[in-house]
Amino acid sequence: MTDTLLSDPDSTPTIDLGEIVATPLWRIRLRVAWRSFRKNWALFSDNKMGVVGLLIIVVFGIMALAHPILLATAWEGHEEGGKNVYDVRAGADSIIVEKTVVDVVTDPVTEIGRIEAALMGSGAVIPEVGTVLEVPLANPAPPVFRDVEHAHVLGTDPFGADIFSQLLFGARAAFLLGAIAALSSVFLATIVGTVAAFYGGTIDTLLMRLADLVILIPLLPLLIVMSGFWQIGLMGLGILIGVLGGLGGTAIILKSQALSVKVKPFIDAARISGGTDWRIITRHIIPNVLPLSFLYMMFGVTGAIFIEATLSFLGLLNIDASWGIMINIAHTQGYTLQGLKVWWLMVPAGLAITVFSAGFFMVARAMDEVVNPRLRRR
Amino acid sequence: MTNTLDIESRGGRAGTTLLKLDDVIMRYHTKEGWVSAVENITFDLANGEALGLVGESGCGKTSVALTLLGLLPDNAAIISGDIQLDGESIVGLPEEQMRRRRWRDIAMVFQGAMNSWNPVYKVGDQIREALRLHWPETLTYTQETERIGQLFELVGLNPLMADRYPHEFSGGMRQRAVIAMALSCNPKLIIADEPTTALDVIVQDQILKELKNIQAELGMSIIYISHDIAVIAEVTDRMGVMYAGKLVELGDTIEVFHRPRHPYSYLLLSSTPSITGPRRKLAPLEGEPPNLIDPPTGCRFHPRCPFATERCSLEDPVLTQIGGGHAVACFNWQDVPEIGGLQK
Amino acid sequence: MWKYIAKRMGQMIVLFYVFIALLFLILDLQPGDISAQFVGNPDIPPEAKQILIQNLGLDQPKHIQLWNHLKNYTTFNMGFSWDSFPREVSDMLFEALPRTIFLFLTATLLSFWLGFYTGKVVAWRRGTFLEKGVMASSIFFWTVFYPWFALLMLWLFAFQIGWFPIGKFITLTFSTRPDWVNSVSNTLGRVSGGEAATGWVGSGVDANSIFNGMLLSIIVTTVVYGTLRYLADRRVENERTRKTLHRLALIVSFVGLSAYWIFHSESVFAFDIVWHTIVPVLTLTLVNYAGTTLLTRSSMLETLREDYILTARAKGVPDRVIRDKHAARNALLPVTTSLVLALATVIAGGVITEQIFSWPGIGRALLTAITVEDIPVAMGALAIIGVLSLLAHLIADILYAFLDPRIRVQG
Repeated sequence: MTDTLLSDPDSTPTIDLGEIVATPLWRIRLRVAWRSFRKNWALFSDNKMGVVGLLIIVVFGIMALAHPILLATAWEGHEEGGKNVYDVRAGADSIIVEKTVVDVVTDPVTEIGRIEAALMGSGAVIPEVGTVLEVPLANPAPPVFRDVEHAHVLGTDPFGADIFSQLLFGARAAFLLGAIAALSSVFLATIVGTVAAFYGGTIDTLLMRLADLVILIPLLPLLIVMSGFWQIGLMGLGILIGVLGGLGGTAIILKSQALSVKVKPFIDAARISGGTDWRIITRHIIPNVLPLSFLYMMFGVTGAIFIEATLSFLGLLNIDASWGIMINIAHTQGYTLQGLKVWWLMVPAGLAITVFSAGFFMVARAMDEVVNPRLRRR
Repeated sequence: MTNTLDIESRGGRAGTTLLKLDDVIMRYHTKEGWVSAVENITFDLANGEALGLVGESGCGKTSVALTLLGLLPDNAAIISGDIQLDGESIVGLPEEQMRRRRWRDIAMVFQGAMNSWNPVYKVGDQIREALRLHWPETLTYTQETERIGQLFELVGLNPLMADRYPHEFSGGMRQRAVIAMALSCNPKLIIADEPTTALDVIVQDQILKELKNIQAELGMSIIYISHDIAVIAEVTDRMGVMYAGKLVELGDTIEVFHRPRHPYSYLLLSSTPSITGPRRKLAPLEGEPPNLIDPPTGCRFHPRCPFATERCSLEDPVLTQIGGGHAVACFNWQDVPEIGGLQK
Repeated sequence: MWKYIAKRMGQMIVLFYVFIALLFLILDLQPGDISAQFVGNPDIPPEAKQILIQNLGLDQPKHIQLWNHLKNYTTFNMGFSWDSFPREVSDMLFEALPRTIFLFLTATLLSFWLGFYTGKVVAWRRGTFLEKGVMASSIFFWTVFYPWFALLMLWLFAFQIGWFPIGKFITLTFSTRPDWVNSVSNTLGRVSGGEAATGWVGSGVDANSIFNGMLLSIIVTTVVYGTLRYLADRRVENERTRKTLHRLALIVSFVGLSAYWIFHSESVFAFDIVWHTIVPVLTLTLVNYAGTTLLTRSSMLETLREDYILTARAKGVPDRVIRDKHAARNALLPVTTSLVLALATVIAGGVITEQIFSWPGIGRALLTAITVEDIPVAMGALAIIGVLSLLAHLIADILYAFLDPRIRVQG
């Protein structure tokens, strides 16, 4: 009984001792967890920014869930040329369209990836910047609401794929990637941080030097090179970001948190009562580091989404569809300078990435104020 | 002929009234409601006098200090009452005028003076900042340095230390330097809020002695604020006991020590062991300090008071003189027994 | 402090080699071997292959290969570009380097300067309408999907408003530029006394040398400004005079820099480059500015809770002085530390900016190399970006040591 009391820093003041003996440990733990959750929720919900962020995440969650459901119900059976028109990669007939030239190629070899390269290849005369050309590519269709059979609520991309469907699919991809990256990074960072803090000495020095190195590595350029060498998918990217993120800055921050927990009296108490290292780390240090870990997980999601979208935007990832790819398609097909005239190509995807990241960012900041009382207002 | 750089108190003749608080009420506005932090506080302080305020943490001692300096946060307000310094009311003064008075008239040694120093500036330069803001005449750089050196010597520090950064000072040295800074502009009054709490006992004792000597030498008025009765007993002439934002007892330090008349003071003193006094049973003070958002009706101490009667829960006792400059806010003060008290 | 800096430098050198070794590992692990492109080619006869393998050192054991790799990168011998053979990788990249440094430096300095000021003002006025507005826009700019934002800026300034070019570094023929640019350019030409230039073509002016001159002059001016400020802080005791001197130093440096280039005989060309830099720098600055503002604000809010702020208030220090001298000076420390962690974002932003605005820097070289599978150039670019990031960390460390007396005096 005394052991429980000593080892659990939150449970002491209001629990009746007699009750503790009678009730199983897990129920007490549950109750303590519930109480601290309620307390923290009260603090969190005070922060309007955090609540808005949470709402945003929920909306995107609904979007991610909606995609497979819609494919199985409302969008089912809209076949055209053997493919569902709402498939994220549906192809349509190529039509001649007008395009504005983005820039004039002077060095064709180093400028591959833009529409001009295609023009150069066909032996066309180098066009002036800003001239409008007719290029044989698919046509982005504007939003159509009336036609119930093929209602493209947000229109289609230059390849004829439904934007709305891609948007929903993108939410799924974003959640998947964010979850993989954030979980693996925080898992690693928590272990590295607590182990470094608990054992100190050589292990600590080694792990922290490693963290120094990882912080120094320019993550995006490195991933650009790696995705050039290997075919990286969503899973692989998530784990890569997670590992590189988890060994770096987050590990250092969690280590300092673990250090401050390590010197608390209840750790000594646990050690005196014969707790093994592993037990002390998992039962006493990690639970006290977890709130901070969770916070960095939220920040991690924002970072991971940004990297994924950027790599997709640069056309370096091997995935079906994502918000980044939607922007990539619009850009590489030369629609950048048409701007708001073809708004449905870039604005929904760009906004989706922005708002999604902002949602996690806002939740993380609100949580920061819960976890870190120094930020609170008085 | 007096040197302009003399370290002295700017206060008036000893014994004349310097500070007068009249029924001051100060409250914080929070989301849960108004927190009554300072409730009907009335006392006065003579020039050259050392007054102690004692009470549990959260009883409003520090709030009194902040009220005196006009350093209240945005959500706090002085609801009523008047504070007079040298016969002049300082309540409701415009911020700019109040700012000019701070440190020049009332200096403060803060709770946790360890962190009172800005880590990125030299200690001497931080004192210099105060001098430049408030010293009546303009001093040359050398004069400033000279004065800072004198101040350091007065508090028992090497004047060369002024050129060092705070992190190079030990806790006790930092505290001494804070006292030097408090004295820098020859204030009329110094408020010392838990001046020695963070220090170890030996350093604590040295610094208290130092403060006491300086106060006697310069004829400065000091208000000591502490939760530690021993500290208050050592350095003050008069002491007030605060409970839940109220002043419950005020009198001569020795008198209050030997014959506390308020049940709270009585219990507070009985719960402190005495080494030199007669052996006695320690009476524990039970219960928690009250919630200041919704304080108990009547006397705020009545839920914890062993002498409480029905009247106590209905009526709020006011601070009443019971003779010999001793005042107490209790209906049943006559029931409070004698204790051995501490030898001073 | 010197001991601290020396220690950090030593660590950085070690980290540099670990980083280079990591690049070797990536090269070694990549599918299909670095030699496959040459060695696996059936058109090359076996004897030639043997020579190639020997020349590339691929017959050596792995540790010798690693040793050679480290040796080569130390001397910036990064081989030849496969795509634009026979150009040397180092030659290509060193040509691009000043452009990247320019983008990075101007955007970082500007955003830090503005962001720190905004953050400090906003923290001081917590709860006001101003604070809420700044916070909302900062969060927007900080979380906006940067490539998309850059595309929008490109569209807005280059196409919709039409004041600025669609990316690139220079415009070959001046007549294609908007009228207002040409009229400014002509005025400049008259002031500096050069004959009217019609474009880079045929003018015999080297864009790289002008650009490097500009970069150098900016660095020199920044150093001069910093020195003047430092001298003012050291020598002048009076607060007000010091402030005036700070402003004076800023004006003198700025006017000096502008005057030098306005009266420069090739001012027209310099102006053309400046015209091309505005939108990329603005875009990169806006995002980092938002980041610095958010960072400074939270750092200030933490500092404002410190005891010494209360002491300063009790001392009767005026609010403005408390904010600038006591709070902001201390808030600067965590901001400097966090800036190091934010560097990754700045570098990533730089790569994207270069790509979208066709700015021919290291980041663009890296992306182009990846698309055409020019492995030596890609590795070289990655190595140089790594070195840049190392240097930036080192500078931030030194800055921190200067700012924090706890390190300056003891370490």
